[in-house]
Formats: sequence, C-alpha cells, structure tokens
Amino acid sequence: MDYELSPREQAWREEVREFIGEHVDEALADETRQRGNEGRGPRAQLFLDALRDRGWWGLAWPEEYGGLGKTALEQWIFIDEIESAGAPMLPLTVTSVAPTIMRIGSQEQKRDWLPKIQAGEIEFALGYSEAEAGTDLASLKTRAELDGDEWVVNGAKMWNTMAHHATHNWLAVRTEPDARKHKGISMMIVPMDAPGVSVQPIWVWPGLRTNALFLDNVRVPRSYLIGERGMGFYYAAMALNFERLSIGSIGMARRHFRALVDEVRRRVVDGRPLREDPWVRERLARLQIEIDAAGMLGLETAWALDQGRVPAAESSMAKIYVSELSQRIADVGCEILGLNGQLHADEARALAGGRMQWLYRLSPMLAFGGGTNEVQRDIIGFMGFGLPRK
Amino acid sequence: MRPVPTPQQEELRAAVRDLCSREVTVERLLVWEGASDASELALLESIAALGWLGLGVPVAAGGSGACLSDVAILVSECARGLVPRSIIGAVRGATALGVIAPKSSVLASLATGDNRLAMAVDEEEARVASSFSTTVEVEGGVPRVRGAKAYVPDAALSELHLVVARDGQGPVLALTEAGGPGVTIRELRTFGGDRQAHVRYDGAPVVERIEGGPAAFGRLQEVRQALALAEMVGGMDAVLDATVAYVQEREQFGQKIALFQAVRHQIADMGIRVTAARHLAWQAITRIDRRALCGHELASALAYTGRAFRDVCVTGHHLHGGAGFVVENRLRFHSERAQSLAIRYACEAPALEEIAGALLD
Repeated sequence: MDYELSPREQAWREEVREFIGEHVDEALADETRQRGNEGRGPRAQLFLDALRDRGWWGLAWPEEYGGLGKTALEQWIFIDEIESAGAPMLPLTVTSVAPTIMRIGSQEQKRDWLPKIQAGEIEFALGYSEAEAGTDLASLKTRAELDGDEWVVNGAKMWNTMAHHATHNWLAVRTEPDARKHKGISMMIVPMDAPGVSVQPIWVWPGLRTNALFLDNVRVPRSYLIGERGMGFYYAAMALNFERLSIGSIGMARRHFRALVDEVRRRVVDGRPLREDPWVRERLARLQIEIDAAGMLGLETAWALDQGRVPAAESSMAKIYVSELSQRIADVGCEILGLNGQLHADEARALAGGRMQWLYRLSPMLAFGGGTNEVQRDIIGFMGFGLPRK
Repeated sequence: MRPVPTPQQEELRAAVRDLCSREVTVERLLVWEGASDASELALLESIAALGWLGLGVPVAAGGSGACLSDVAILVSECARGLVPRSIIGAVRGATALGVIAPKSSVLASLATGDNRLAMAVDEEEARVASSFSTTVEVEGGVPRVRGAKAYVPDAALSELHLVVARDGQGPVLALTEAGGPGVTIRELRTFGGDRQAHVRYDGAPVVERIEGGPAAFGRLQEVRQALALAEMVGGMDAVLDATVAYVQEREQFGQKIALFQAVRHQIADMGIRVTAARHLAWQAITRIDRRALCGHELASALAYTGRAFRDVCVTGHHLHGGAGFVVENRLRFHSERAQSLAIRYACEAPALEEIAGALLD
C-alpha cells in the first residue's frame, strides 16, 4: 500500500503550481466565473494561449501526436490544481474530441483535424443530447443521409454548450436507421458556418448559457464522418472516458469551500467570531472530511486508468460523490452566511465572493449532467459489484 | 502511489481468509460470545504458531519484524473473518509494545502467545490523558500503580496490563501483572459480547516502565488507531460482500431483489462509502507506519471510517431484512463491532473539533 506521490509526480505538481502562480490572479478567476460558458474573456484566452505555448494542451495526448503523454495521475494533478485555482480548464476539443479522433480517425482525418486543434484554430461544441434523448442517448433522432459524396443532416440537438462560439460541432447522428438503436449512430463533424445550421440560446439557472442547435438539410463532406459508420454510440462513450478525471474532480468544490472557510474566519456575528460557533465548526469539519474522501475516489480513478483499466465504477463513484457533495457545500455555505448568502456575486457586499448561492444554483446540474447519478449508481452496481441486469 | 496490497500482503490475506473459513464458524462465534473455550484457545495457538501474533514484533525479540501496514493487513482480514476480538487484541498488544518498546523483556512471550497484553487506557470520568487520575508513584522503593481503569479489553484474559498513568511530568506507560498483588478485575457484560472489565490498581507493582513519556503515549495511540482503522475496514468489506451476495440470491415479487433499482442504488452507496473509507483509512495507516502523518488526516480517517462502518451496517441490515436480524447471521457481529470500535477509537466529536481547529483557529 502506498498513497504517496512519486518524486516525479510531486515535481509535476510543483511545476503546475508555479505556472498557476505566474498566470492566475483574482481578476482571471472573476472573469472565468462571470463569463461561465458564455465564451472566453480576454484573460482566459491569454491563459489558455499560455497553456498551449507551454505544450500543455497535449498533456494527455500520446507523444506521437506531439503530446506529453502524461499519466492519468499526472493529468489528475493538473486538473485538480487548475480547478482549485479557479482557472479555465482545457477545452473539451483538446481533452475529449482530439483523443477520440486519434484513436478512431483515418490517417487522412487525423492529418486534417489534429494540427488545427493543436494550433487552436478550431473549437468544437459537443452535440450528443436531444430533447427526447438525454440519459437514453441511443434514442437520438438527428439523422444523416448520404447523397453522393455528401451527408445531409437534419434534426436538433439540446444542451449544445459553446455552440455560439465553436467553429465546429462534434455531432452524434443516426446514419443506419434500420440497425438496432445503439448500432445505428455515427460521429460526424459539422462546421458551424455550414448553411442550414442555426443556434438558439438557452439560459439556465446559474446564469450560464447553453444552446439548442438546429440542422436543416446541412450538407457536409462524406469524409467528415469520423471512424466507422454505426459505431458512434461507442465513440461517444469513449470520449466520455477521456472526461472521467475532470468529471470527478474535487478541485472546484474545494476552492469554493476554501472561500467559505476564509469568510468564516473573518466574520463576527453577535459580537462573537463566527468560527467559534459550535454548529459552524461541526458543519465545516464534516465537509472537510467529505472533501478528503472525494479526493481519494478521484485518485483511485486516475490510478486505475494508469493500470490500463476502464474504471467505470470508480469514476462513477467519484462523480456521484463530488456532485452531491457540491450540493451540500452550497447548502451549508448559504446557511452559514445567513441572509448575505443570497447576494449575487456582483454585489460588493457578497461574502465568499457570492460563491455559495452560485454553487447552490449550479450543483443540481452536476448531479444530472455528465450521466445522471442514477445511471452512475447502476454502473457501480453492474460494473463494480457484478449485480445482474436481467 | 499504489492503493492496493502488495503481492506479499495479498498472500497474507489469502492465508487469513483460509484459516477463518475453516475455524471461525457461526456456531463457534455464538459460543465465544459467552466465554473462551478450547476452540478459541486452539485458534489463538494456531495463529501464534503461524507467527502472526508476533508479526509486528522486532526480530530480535522473537517476532517477524514486519511493518505496521503488514500487521494492519492481518488485523483487517481477521476482522473481516470475525476472528475473536481477544485474539485481535493479542496482535494489537504485541504490535503496540513492539513499536513503543522494542527492547521490552516481555515481547518474546507476547509473540509466542504465552502472555497476552491488555491495554488499560480509558477511565470512567476521563477521555484524555491529561485528565487521567491513575498514577505511578514510588512507594517503598518500588514504583506502583494506583487508580482505576475502565472498559479494559481482555483484562481478565491477559497476563500483562499496559497501564497509561500519570506522574508529576505527564503520561507514563507501565507494565503490571494482571494476576499480581493490588489488581482487582471486574468483568463487564457488554452488548458486543467481548471481554471488557473495570480494573482497580491498588499499589500494583510496575514490572517494567516504558520510556518515552508523552511521545511514547502519542505513538501508542497512533498504533491503536491505525489497527482500529484496519479492523473497521475489514468489517466493512465483509458487510458489503455479504449484502451484495444476499441481494443476488433473495427473490421477491418473482425476481432477485438486486434487479430493483432502489436496492441496487443502496448497494452503490454502500460501495462508495466503503471505497472512500478504505482509502482514507489506508492513507492514514501507511503514513502512521512511515511516521509521516500530515495535519488532520488521521482525524478525518477516523471520523469518516467510524461513521461509514456504522452506516454500511445499517444499510446491510435493511437489505438483509429479517434474515440479517437473527442471532446466527454474521452481520450483527459486524454491527456490534462497528459501534464498539467507533466508541473506543473513532469518536466523531473530538475528530471534528480537531479538523475544525485546523481549519479555523
């Protein structure tokens, strides 16, 4: 048994921290929070450019594609440090789409798309969910039909976050209507400037923007279907695997918790330091223990990935834990801050940067997004403990 | 990082499991609740013969000289298999003394099982060492123990007691003979059926004084807590395994109850608690082993694991229904140990206060 980071991993953590120390300040964290996924502000763009210049966009990419080939544990360290600092995370284009193309794309497709991704010239939105195909993704209806050398795409996608800034969409479409539903889906790249593509904003509770995407007789070249026809459901699952480390990361929750603790240390209520209130002390201590526990689940996921396993149960455990713990942090945080806990982050008097009410509004999404926690619990039952499906 | 046992530790686990499957039957567990019998002593002798009592005792003292993590593997697996707590206590006593007093004259006898060591720490009216009233004072040229210790595990079964007392300087650790003059033992009836006792020391002679004062006492507590964490993790694993097996065999409404999502999700939640507790516990154990504890991590591990063990038992009982409620079911033995271990080693209140202090003060 050994829970210590190796000297190489410790050195990597220090390197990441040093980078963050040089490039992240409160102004960047504020901008990131204010913008949410409503595009990137100038500070965030500078930060991401600096990450790219450092070669860290290819952190998880194999060396043959110009990446650093970092281990999953090293990636976990990076994600944890970036999220804990409140800095913008690497785009999904880099962490999810590109690694999928590397594994399933033809040589020509890799040559066409990977250099542009690496150069930051293109960015993808992820087009999976539809109004009637959320958790049950295999029921999606958006279809693509071959017409000569072009695909003709028709349908609509929901929760197409970043579509209003993306240059392309990474789209799951039904290309084999007669096949069983899981076997009839393909992955396709659709340029956002193609005729027939339109985007409609959807504003969600925490003040963030996502989108509905409409595709009306959109024509894309035949070669834009990536990988094999009919394998798209499995490619989407593969892409999700690349997100396992970030979905179960405790970094963001720890950052908000730290802000709450800092506020409690400063506050005086009824003439007495808030930190002396036994109820407050107990609640914060319990949350700290849970943050410690969540961190261990994330570490295990990373370690299992490095052993060459697909840690389905482990990552589901981390995802459930972090998402539900985020809800508890927000809930307790709002209560500890009292009436001030309602204040919007833009209010100068908002304590803890207004983070608690923001997290309170965001955290429900963490539990149903990225695969609902019900599905995650099923995965744990099936994959972790061998419970029967039928 | 390698959050799983080494191949050697896996071998040890397999050997313990094999022994438990043969020797720790439900019939015997029911007998051992009442009193030690020949089969319990035979099991103790078997474990001694395998070298497990002295696993953590230094080689020079007749033990195997294994590290604390290896002993924790042994203890965890014994707890999973419901090895009597008196035997786990014998391992704990030998290991703890081996750590704090590696040259103690009694270690060899603990490694062979000829003697057992009970640890007399708690007092009825005191929870921390600074409040203990038991003293060691020199009377007539002989250091003697005076005071009362409460809920001492295996006090009557053990030949030696390690008493945590005080002198003018602070905590003192002293060995006394359980059968010697001035020692009165009153056994208690506890819900867990283990062998605890109140012990009075009225001038009991000290046969060996452990050097090191507060540092030795601090180390003793760490070792006790590390092995308690291992016990809790082993018990928790057993409860989860038993419940996973049961929901796959029990049928209601014409199907295995594992097919009900409501049941499956409770298993998933048990799995999450057990997994998180296991890692927090082993992180703390391995760091205690290396003397590299940081900040609040032991408090965090104790509070989380103690609570998780009890919660997992409650869910285990719920999913077993009546089948888990009969006295013959192993589940209730684990549930008894869960509460007993939490009360002694993993009280939430002090752990939470330690964590709060680290965060806020």
